[in-house]
Amino acid sequence: MPALPSFVPYLIHTLFPPWVRRPTEIGAEIMMTAAGAFIVYWLLKNKKLQWLWNEWLTTVDHKKIGIMYLVAAIIMLGRGGLDALMLRTNLAMPTLHFINASEYNEVFTTHGTIMVFFMAMPLIFALFNVVVPLQIGSRDVAFPRLNAISFWLFAFAAALFNLSFVVGGSPNAGWTAYPPLTELAFNHTVGENYYFVSLLMTGIGTTITGINFLVTILRMRAPGMTFMKMPLFTWATLNTSVLILFAFPPLTIALLESLLDRVAGTTFFGLAHGGMPMMYVNLFWLFGHPEVYILVLPAFGVFSEVVSTFSRKKLFGYPSMVLSMTAIMVLAYGTWVHHFFTMGAGPAVNVFFGLSTMLIAIPTGVKVFNWILTMWGGRLTFTTPMLYFLAMIPTFVIGGATGVMLGAVPADYQFHNSYFLVAHFHEVLIGGTVFGLLAGVYYWWPKMFGYKLNDHQGKWSFWLFAGGFWPTFIPQYWLGLEGMTRRMYTYPFGMGWHTLNVISTIGGLIMGAGFLVMVSNVLRSRLHREVDATGDPWDGRTLEWSIPSPAPEYNFAVIPTVDERDWWWEEKQRRQSGEKPAGPRPEDIRAIAIPKNTPVPILLGAAFFVGAFGLVFTWWPIALMGLAGVFGVLIYSWFQYDHYRILSAGEIRETEELLGRLGA
Amino acid sequence: MHGGDEQHETAIEPGFDFISPRFEEPKFPMHQVWGYAASLVLTFAALWMTVNRIMSPSVLLGVVLAMAVGQAALQLGVFMHVRESRGPAWHLVPLGLAFAIGIGLVGMSAWIMLFKSGVS
Ligand code: HEM
Ligand SMILES: [Cu+2]
Repeated sequence: MPALPSFVPYLIHTLFPPWVRRPTEIGAEIMMTAAGAFIVYWLLKNKKLQWLWNEWLTTVDHKKIGIMYLVAAIIMLGRGGLDALMLRTNLAMPTLHFINASEYNEVFTTHGTIMVFFMAMPLIFALFNVVVPLQIGSRDVAFPRLNAISFWLFAFAAALFNLSFVVGGSPNAGWTAYPPLTELAFNHTVGENYYFVSLLMTGIGTTITGINFLVTILRMRAPGMTFMKMPLFTWATLNTSVLILFAFPPLTIALLESLLDRVAGTTFFGLAHGGMPMMYVNLFWLFGHPEVYILVLPAFGVFSEVVSTFSRKKLFGYPSMVLSMTAIMVLAYGTWVHHFFTMGAGPAVNVFFGLSTMLIAIPTGVKVFNWILTMWGGRLTFTTPMLYFLAMIPTFVIGGATGVMLGAVPADYQFHNSYFLVAHFHEVLIGGTVFGLLAGVYYWWPKMFGYKLNDHQGKWSFWLFAGGFWPTFIPQYWLGLEGMTRRMYTYPFGMGWHTLNVISTIGGLIMGAGFLVMVSNVLRSRLHREVDATGDPWDGRTLEWSIPSPAPEYNFAVIPTVDERDWWWEEKQRRQSGEKPAGPRPEDIRAIAIPKNTPVPILLGAAFFVGAFGLVFTWWPIALMGLAGVFGVLIYSWFQYDHYRILSAGEIRETEELLGRLGA
Repeated sequence: MHGGDEQHETAIEPGFDFISPRFEEPKFPMHQVWGYAASLVLTFAALWMTVNRIMSPSVLLGVVLAMAVGQAALQLGVFMHVRESRGPAWHLVPLGLAFAIGIGLVGMSAWIMLFKSGVS
């Protein structure tokens, strides 16, 4: 037998080092390969490849991009949740070492990173994409092609990050990736390269999304929709986009410099040659605190829509809602040091940032009171989204209160990096962000797909998820006060922490069951779908409910003129009384230019992926190939001239006619 | 879409004429060529000064910073057409705000990192 060329063992050793050849990794590899093979087989067998390419992979339609974000986010929620359960299993059985110390490091790192960057962010962008253009009466976002580029950068970055588990090894320095732990001298595996490169990639996409929605909302609202007539989810999107615009540059710098430290021999954050590790921490949280508001403001927006729809009342205190949200947006930039009070910057700095942290609780309180007052005297219906809203109130209030406790500088020296903190941030991230986004998914599902998710199963899933939440995280406050620190993979039995940890793990399993019921609800609701012909199944109040579900590709046959805050609510009254025609009048319909599909975004994402993979392993030829690919795709796109196809007025009239939409 | 017919005649208050409409469309983008050259010079001059350590580090820091700010202004003016607009140039107002925030964040970071305790 001829000897293998020498690069083969080298490749095997680099791509599949011993730490990706453990049973969990091999299991994941087999599952991923099998799932991939099955999908390809199914596509080929049903001749769906062409369909997939034309309808989805090359689309620039914001509604479809939103759905792709949604699918990706739910898959990532599954992966992040599996990670969480592995961690919890270890802590319930601290002597068994279900996973060992270094695996534990990897798993909490991937859990945190995936949940924040590859689950919560895309879920937020899913709602932005699906809702905002419809809510402001627009035909698309300002830059449809850039929107698709954002999505594909995110999707390929997520794929790259997840690949680390089976090829080369996972990152292991926490979702915050502080130096010197991330420096090459202390961390030889390629894991941290994966972290930096994939976050840089998805960060480009996120920044573009922020710009895109900022411009969309500023420039593309329906006539008459002044700022103070915008729905609150749109306001939330506007504020979030501004936060993204200013928060991501410091992160980009921090990640890029850390990456250079690892692959180019610089020492921005290493201790040698005057590097400043604490500067990384400063830059990271300069991004990180605005980021937590990027995660929660969209949820606030969802809750504002949900509570007003299901109370059948106008939102209470709209101007104060707008003002408080904007105040939060501004204040969010002035609190970041509360993540590292213990660095020892001195009393002046710490007191300043302690006070600014507490200040932010005021506008947040205003919002909670306004939501409660919206329900006051309303006619409530307890649908699944409304239940998530109700469950958010107590969790967010407790999470917010413990946040103020963490902002008290002297006390923080005790709470810092303990399970008290872990309980706090899960309480606001799950009780605020995840509850809010799930409420939004249930609420806008009929707009995306034309049928509702089953409410009965939705409630089952809700009670398991929100019910399991309390036993999972409330005990952790006590664990923190009893001295259990975060990121520990085991603890001695005598510490008295065991009972509370077991309760927490059981709660986590209940939440996992809630997730499974949700997934099964999605599948079963699709199989037994009851098509909603009205387009307005909740008796909604804002523009998106005035058009059919799913919305036709041009969204609005005729763009309405908005004269009220809850325009659709008022319009329905006018239509009933015969004051207005029941739909767009045929003679008002004009031809519409629709942006054409293009392969540029997905190819660009793929080229980035190749380059990023080369960077991870510092295989420069491959990295350069990726770079050349990026330029190649860009040059190709320069020579594409006609970006639009025209949908004639006749075609639109026909579609509206079929949907039974035309007014007399 | 080009040309004057799109122009919205908005009366601009005196004192706010920095946002009054202006729009340039030269035949050959000479401005941009010069802007590109100047950007390259500024970048490589900064690199050269740093690599050859021609001044003491703190002075060098100041000089490089000044060159960076100059280059940012240059690029905003030349490539981002920052003063041009068919209507009132409202974007100058949030842009100023953005600068204020940016400078605030940099200033506060400097303040935070001046700590003298033993932790590092
Ligand atoms: C399904 C319920 C969840 C459970 C049971 C859970 C459990 C855990 C556990 C056990 C840890 C590690 C604690 C440690 O050892 O220090 C952790 C860390 C973390 N979790 Fe979760 N988690 C859940 C959901 C989420 C969600 C939805 C998010 C974000 C949106 C999130 C974000 C984080 C972050 C950022 C960390 C810190 C990672 C680090 O220390 O670097 N988790 N979680
Ligand atoms: Cu914070």
